[in-house]
This record gives sequence, C-alpha cells and structure tokens, in this order.
Amino acid sequence: MLEAREIVLERRGRRLLDGIDIAIPSGLVTAIVGPNGAGKSMLLKVLAGELAPTAGSVQLDGKDLRTFSALALARRRAMVPQSTNLSFPFTVVEVVRLGASVPGFDGIKTRAHELADQALQCVGLEGFGARLYNELSGGEKQRVHIARALCQLDAAHRAEGETTVLMLDEPTSSLDLAHQVRVLDEARRQASIGRAVLLVIHDLNLAAAWADDIVLVSAGRIRARGKPAEIFDNGILSEAYGCAIQVNRTPAPGVPYMLPHLIAAASRRGEAG
Amino acid sequence: MRQGRERVGYQLIVVSVLVLIAAVLASLSLGATGITLSALGRVLHAYVFGSTDAERVTEQLVLLDIRLPRTLLGVFVGAALAVSGAMMQGLFRNPLADPGIVGVSSGAALAAVATIALGNSLAAPWTKAFGVYALPFAAFLGGFLTTTLLVLIAGRRGQLMVGTLLLAGIAIGAMSGALTGLIAYASDDRELRDLTLWSLGSLSGASWPKVMAILPFMAIIFLALPRVTRALNGFLLGEAEAFHLGIDVERMKWLIIFATAASVGAAVAVAGIVGFVGIVVPHFIRLIAGPDHRFVLPCSALLGAALLLLADVIARLAVRPAELPLGIVMAAIGAPVFLHLVLRRGVGGLE
Amino acid sequence: MLKVSSLAPAGLVCALALAVMTSVTSAQTEKPGAAPPSAVVAIGGDITEILYAIGAEKRIVAVDATSQFPPEALQEKKNVGYMRALSTEGVLSVNGDLIIASDRAGPPDVVKALKSAPVKYIEIADDFSPGSIANKVQQVARAVGLDAAGESLAARIGRDFDKLAELRKQIKRPLRVLFLLNVANGRATVGGAQSSADAILKLAGAENAAATVTGYKPVSDEALVEIRPDAVVGMRRSGSGHETDQIASIKGLSTSPAVKNNRILQMDGLYLLGFGPRSPAAALDLMRWLYPELPFAQTGHRQ
Repeated sequence: MLEAREIVLERRGRRLLDGIDIAIPSGLVTAIVGPNGAGKSMLLKVLAGELAPTAGSVQLDGKDLRTFSALALARRRAMVPQSTNLSFPFTVVEVVRLGASVPGFDGIKTRAHELADQALQCVGLEGFGARLYNELSGGEKQRVHIARALCQLDAAHRAEGETTVLMLDEPTSSLDLAHQVRVLDEARRQASIGRAVLLVIHDLNLAAAWADDIVLVSAGRIRARGKPAEIFDNGILSEAYGCAIQVNRTPAPGVPYMLPHLIAAASRRGEAG
Repeated sequence: MRQGRERVGYQLIVVSVLVLIAAVLASLSLGATGITLSALGRVLHAYVFGSTDAERVTEQLVLLDIRLPRTLLGVFVGAALAVSGAMMQGLFRNPLADPGIVGVSSGAALAAVATIALGNSLAAPWTKAFGVYALPFAAFLGGFLTTTLLVLIAGRRGQLMVGTLLLAGIAIGAMSGALTGLIAYASDDRELRDLTLWSLGSLSGASWPKVMAILPFMAIIFLALPRVTRALNGFLLGEAEAFHLGIDVERMKWLIIFATAASVGAAVAVAGIVGFVGIVVPHFIRLIAGPDHRFVLPCSALLGAALLLLADVIARLAVRPAELPLGIVMAAIGAPVFLHLVLRRGVGGLE
Repeated sequence: MLKVSSLAPAGLVCALALAVMTSVTSAQTEKPGAAPPSAVVAIGGDITEILYAIGAEKRIVAVDATSQFPPEALQEKKNVGYMRALSTEGVLSVNGDLIIASDRAGPPDVVKALKSAPVKYIEIADDFSPGSIANKVQQVARAVGLDAAGESLAARIGRDFDKLAELRKQIKRPLRVLFLLNVANGRATVGGAQSSADAILKLAGAENAAATVTGYKPVSDEALVEIRPDAVVGMRRSGSGHETDQIASIKGLSTSPAVKNNRILQMDGLYLLGFGPRSPAAALDLMRWLYPELPFAQTGHRQ
C-alpha cells in the first residue's frame, strides 16, 4: 500500500499541493485527473519519492519513503516521466535494459535480454530492439520508456507481498488510438497481477474506461475520489475544469463519456460566421 | 542483430587491450638513444648482480629510469584524461563537455603559471619547500581548490545543479584566466616561454617519484569507475529518470566530479595541459560501440592511454635529440583522425 | 604534501629501489676523467659561443637551440632543442661525455635526471655582469681542459670591460636611452630595469630611459611620451630593413629628442644581449654610436 498523508508541497513560496491524503491500493488502476496546473504531476513525483514534500509524509508498506535508498525504491516502484530526451544514441534495447540493470537482482545478467524482449512485446515494439532511440517517433519513444519501467518491475526480486507500484505520467499523450488501448490494457494487466498502477491522464474518457479509481485534483487539492461512475458528473467536472462538460453514458454497462458543451461551441461558431 | 552492439563492445575492449600493449612496448623500446627492449635482459642481469659497465648503466638509466616511468605516466595521463572526458560528457549529457568544465584545468593552469612566474619572488618559500615538485603540487592543488569552490557554489542547496555548475565553471574559468593573464603580463621573456611550453604539455620530466605521487589518483579513478558506470548510463536519460532507476543521483554527481578533479589535477600536474584526448577518445568509442558506459569507460581508459603513448613516442622521435611538445603532436595526429570519423560516421550515429 | 603522505608504504619500496639504482649510477660518475672530454653537449648560447671562442668547437657534439652564434654551431652540431625544454633521453642519445649547461637549463626534472646520469654535468651560473662573463669563460675552459685559452680570453674580456669603464668616466652627460625589444601593432615592448638590455645600456654608459618598469614590458604610447629618450636602440631581425621607420612612426616617440634628431639604432639582438665573449665589443659599439666624441682606440670590434 502506497499512502500519502497531509502532503504539502511549496516551491518558491507557491503552494502546489495542499493537504493531500491518498492511498493507492495494490491490484487497482488509479487515475489522477484534473485541469492543467492542478498539481497532478507534482503529486506523482512526490509519491515516487522524486520530490520531498514540504510537510506530510509518503509511506510505502508503512515505512516512510525517505528511509528508502534510491536503490531500494527502484526495486519497489517504476516511474515513467512525462518526457525524457536522450543525449546519446542508445538503441531501444539498451534503454529498456537499463530497467533490468538495478543492482541486487539475481541472475539478471542472463535473463536481461529475455525480460527486455518481453517488455517490448507488451508495448507493441517487437523487433525494435536494435533501432536507435533518437530515430523513433514520439509515440514509439513513449512506449520504449514504458517498456523500460515494466522491465524494471519484472526484474526486481523482492519479498513476497511487498507492494510494487507502476507510475505513468500521461502515458497515452502521444499515442495513436490502437496504442492507447494497448498501453492501457497493459496497465490493467499489471494491476491484475497485484501491482498498484497509478496514472496521470488527461483523457477523461480513457480514465473512465480503464481506471478502477479516479482522483480528481484541482488547485493542489483532491476535489473528489471514487469510481468513474460517481466522479464523472456534470456538476463536479464543470466546477473543477471551469467549463461546461457534458457527461453521457454508453449503453450497458453505462460507461461515462465526456464531451465539452458541443451545442454551445457550435452556436459560437455560428455567431462568428 | 539484437546483441550486435554489445558484441562490438566486448570486441572493442579486447582490441583496446592489445593496442595498449603494443603502445606500451613501443614506448619502452623507442627513443632518441636507439636502446631497445632487447637490452632489458642485460639490464636486469646487471641490476641484480651489480655492474659498473658504463654501457649497462646507460641502458639501465634509459630503460628503467627514463622510459619506464615515462610510459607509466603516459598511461595514467592518457587514461585519466579520456575517462574524465567520458564521465563529464555523461554527467553533462553533452558530447562536447570536457574535464575543464569543472575548473580543474583553469585552476591548475593558474597555480602552475604562478609557480613558474613567481618562483623567485612571492612563491619562493613554496618552491623552496617542494623543490622540483613545486610545480606539480601547485598545479594539482590549484585544480582541486577551483573544483571545490565550484562545487560549493553549484551545490549550496545540498543539490548539485548541473546547469549552475556549467555557468559558474565558465565564470571561474574566466576569472582564473584573467589572473593567469595578469601573471603572464608581469613575467619576463624566459618565464613566458616556460609558460607556453608548459601549456603545450610534455612527459619529458617523468621520474619514479612522480609515478609514485600519482598512484593514489590512479587508484581513485579505477575504484570510481565500476561505481559510476550504471549511474552514467542512467544520467543519459536525465537525472529524474536516473533516480527512478535507483541511482543515488547526488552522491554519484559528487563522486564523478571529485574523481575527475583528482585525476585530471594529477594529470595536469605531471604533464602540463594536454587537450584533445578527453573529447576524441570517448567520441570515437561511442561511434563504434554506442554510448553504453560499460564499454565507453574501460575502452576510454585503454585507448586514451594508448593514444597518449603513441603521441609521446612521436614527440620524442620527430626532432630527436630535441623533443616536440606533446600537445602539438596530439592535435596533429588526433584532429585528422577525428575529422575523418565525423565525416564518415556522422556526429554520434545520427545519420 | 597530501600526495606524499598518502603513499608512504608504496613509496618506501620504490625509494629502496631508487636508492640501489642511484648508488650504482653515482659510483659511475666518480670515475676520474684523465683525458679531456671529447664530446661536449653545450646548453646555452653563451656557453657555445665561449667554446667556439677558445677553439674547442671540434669537441662539441651537440648544442641547444639558443646557440645561434656562431651560425655554424646549429648547422654542424646536433640540436637538443630549446634549453628550457630538454629531454633526458634526447640529451643522452648524442653520447656526450660532458654536459656544460647554463643554470637556466630546464625543465628541473630533466636537469635532475641528467645530473644523476653517468655523464659529467657542469652547471654554469649566469647573470648580466662583466665579472660573471669572465667567470663563465674560465669555468667552461677548465671543463674542457683548455685552461690557458680560457685565462687569456677571460683576461681580454676583463681588459675590454676596464677600457669601457675608463671611457664611461669621460662621459659628461649620460644619454637617456630606450631599448625597444619589438614593435607589434604599433605597441612597443621596452627593456626595463633588471633586464639584459638594462645591463648592456649601463655598460655602454647610457641611462636606461625605461628604468621605471621591470623586465621587458609593453608600454602605452602615453607612457612613451613621458619617457622622452635621447636615443632609441632596437633589435635588428633578419630580413626586414624598415624597422627604423617603424620605430620613428610610433606616436609616443614622435616628440622625443631621439626621433627629432634621428637617433635610432638597430643592433643584432644576440650580439647585444648575449652576454658572451662578444659582450664588451657590443657595449663598445653601442657606446661609440652614442658618444662619438669620446677618444676611442682604432681597434674596435665592429659587428
């Protein structure tokens, strides 16, 4: 269980996160949603141990994150940041294998290739291993990093029952529809084998369809938390985003899907024309 | 195909070892006197049983007291410069970064210039205390103190800011440059000539005490190498990602900076300023085996040492019995090779 | 200090090894040299010049790059490079049996290594005084076993300097003379106090007009206006005959008595500043040009 208590984060006198209490359960996909600048990525970084909170604490299985060494933490959670750029021409497989290079994993030397191959397959990059990272498209690069994180979690040896967390910051932002589905299916599969999966995601419809649990953040605070069906409500969303949002539902089982107020937008176009 | 680059990497290590062995043998058997390694047996025999034959004594002097320490110094200086270059490029994520960025070179140059020019006046107690080692000690201390100052500036919030380090490095470099210029302005013709020669680098003053003096620094860099390999690979993805991969980012940055400062400071102290190795050798290796530091670091050490020995052999043979400054030879043989590589292989395989 | 203490154990082993090696080599250098040396390595332009002057040129096997006089030295002998950038093996490779070097030779480690080599090494002290030139001549001559030739050359040099001193006494008003090392981009580098130029100007009975600076320094036009020299001495370089015009065109000197009266002289740099056996003659030449009214003997050495 990854848990944050009373998190406050301040940078240059600005309060970016304010009193965040959140628990990320294993076996579920939790999605953090909210408007731009709400503090979603900051929250993810605090939960990953990358940023130390100004006040409050983050605990992994009841132990404060600050007591973990970088190495111990790397065995328990993998994170894919929003964007990464490489200064030197690594090949795809070299990047992915970095995930399997965390010291202390037994027998990794021999299994690294196998693990890297598996991870690449999970994100639909079979046969890309020898390609140069810098020559890939944006979406392919994003999937390479996700594969690296999967490889890191698969390679880690740890005690039975310890929580492992997969954190993805906007994993679908540069992916086409097919690969959005592929990556989110993979996230589901990770949850199904007992990992806690935490996504920051902009696309409310994807969140509604793939996440078990939605955390709505705005202005550094958690505004609402619950199942997609509960959170995705006209009033809650319109208030959080400051914009009229129409929530509709698919036929059974009734997955919510969201649209901006289309009639209003079309009528504005009409006036302008 | 998948394992292509890795196999190339291992092959490159083997080739580098062979090249270095060849360079060491060349460095031991070539020189102005025409004494070759074939004299080694006689020399050792004479050494063990004692001999006063003048020819043996000269052979012994040349092989054991001139060429051997010179070769060892060459190996260290070349390896230290190339490895430091590779580490700086990894840390700053820039293939053009060079050990000079952390202020070692400018600080060492300032201290060396001060010792050369003020040796008879202000710095007289210093030169008296250390004799012929006043210059190397001063250069080392100068480089080390500058780096420490720089790291204190860039790391004042407990975190080493790489960007601040770069900018502060430029500022401190300019400041020591100005002081160096001031001293050069105040020195006479002969001192100026000495300064110029020092700045062109040379291994001609090699001696056993110098070899002994740099051993600890050689140890530092070789102990640091295996510890920073994975960290440098992680840094290529950025500091945040390196942290997520379990790398203790801050500790690694300090370790890399201090290993660089110590080894480059020692190298500058014994050989003056020798450019080029730190940028060219790692780049060459990345072109062949990719940027994986498991190969870049050891191959840099081996090939950097070999390249420096090769340049030194040319430096001592080209105008014998006189000697060319090492820096000149290094640039003369390195630059064309480098240009050829860049033209043929592109900058870092980004065709 | 830091370095030494941290390698004490390793150093001890090596020190032992070194002690053995050096004891062998030093035993070698003690060998009494009955026959005069026949293969001399001369390091320092003045030393080469002295060897040629006492007729020992056949015994020289190699010289350094500063040995520009006589010109045949660098043409006929091996060149071990610039005297402050020697190479131990390079110097040893010419198979000399005696090294005579100026105390300015370097780098220090190489000199140290050469001194411990099984070749005799004689160091000659050097400063810009008449006494030291005679001393150098005697030392160098003794080293190659030509004591008599050395004594007579030293005596001649001593006499020449005495003559100069006599002549200096007859100078009524010493001229203020500026020495110009070079003029680059219209900026002049002058010889200040404690420079070799200062020494030779004094020997020639002149007052150094640039004594306010020390050593060879570039000075601004404005400072030159202040200096107002009576005469200017510049260095002649091979292949350019227009340097007198160049000196005359320096703005800061245009109002000086030197330029107004066209008192500008170009002299060979090595001859003037070499402080070898030709030094008295160089000083005399300069004095003759500065004070033509003095009673010079007819037998001056005109360069």
